Amino acid sequence: MTGEYLLEGLAVPESLNLLHDLLERVGHDHPDLRADDLMLFETAVIEVAGNVVEHGQPPGGVTWAFHLTVLPDRLEARLSDSGEEYPGGTWGTEMPGDPLQEDGRGLALATAVLDRLDYLREDDANHWTMLRRRG
Amino acid sequence: MTDTSTTVLRPTGRINMVAAPALKILIEETVASGRTRIVVDLGEVSFIDSSGLGALISGLKTARQAGGDLRLAAVPEQVLTVLRLTNLDRVLPAHDTVADASHDW
Repeated sequence: MTGEYLLEGLAVPESLNLLHDLLERVGHDHPDLRADDLMLFETAVIEVAGNVVEHGQPPGGVTWAFHLTVLPDRLEARLSDSGEEYPGGTWGTEMPGDPLQEDGRGLALATAVLDRLDYLREDDANHWTMLRRRG
Repeated sequence: MTDTSTTVLRPTGRINMVAAPALKILIEETVASGRTRIVVDLGEVSFIDSSGLGALISGLKTARQAGGDLRLAAVPEQVLTVLRLTNLDRVLPAHDTVADASHDW
């Protein structure tokens, strides 16, 4: 069973809950989708989106579009935002060495649960592509 | 039975960028009031992200600096997975129940 989903809005913390709600709907629509696949994909989506909320410039003025496709063999999503170019490409994709460090784990966590995480700057927008193969 | 010197905090729902700052402040206020042995009961939490982990680490450091500790109990699957993937299960081990987490401080 396949399906497509789209969510557009402002890249602000409150919008993260709309993404959670959308992913919950994906689970209801696709009972064949394994719970752990969806859970790990949701973890990645929220980290990547949270990264845009935290670092997007100008703060509070960035809009985004989230497009998710459920395919028989994978989950694939693209988050495109209107913010300025992300400074470090995929900077931050390695887990911090100090376990007591409070931040810097977001993209590392997303990288750990995805089969692919790509960043692309194109047409004055940032594009994050996330892919997880279904178990 | 829970030790009377233990304070149990019970966040619910999603601990993401929206909710994490409030959890961090709650732990700081609890420690500031002199209650430094804290168990965070995650039984009603459905999701945590890296900002939520940051709030727990901040709380752990705050509690330890005051001579106490912070422990996790009733940790759901998604939180366990995230703790493992970030290697934080070493500093924030998961206890099955609040009672298990509440002795031998």
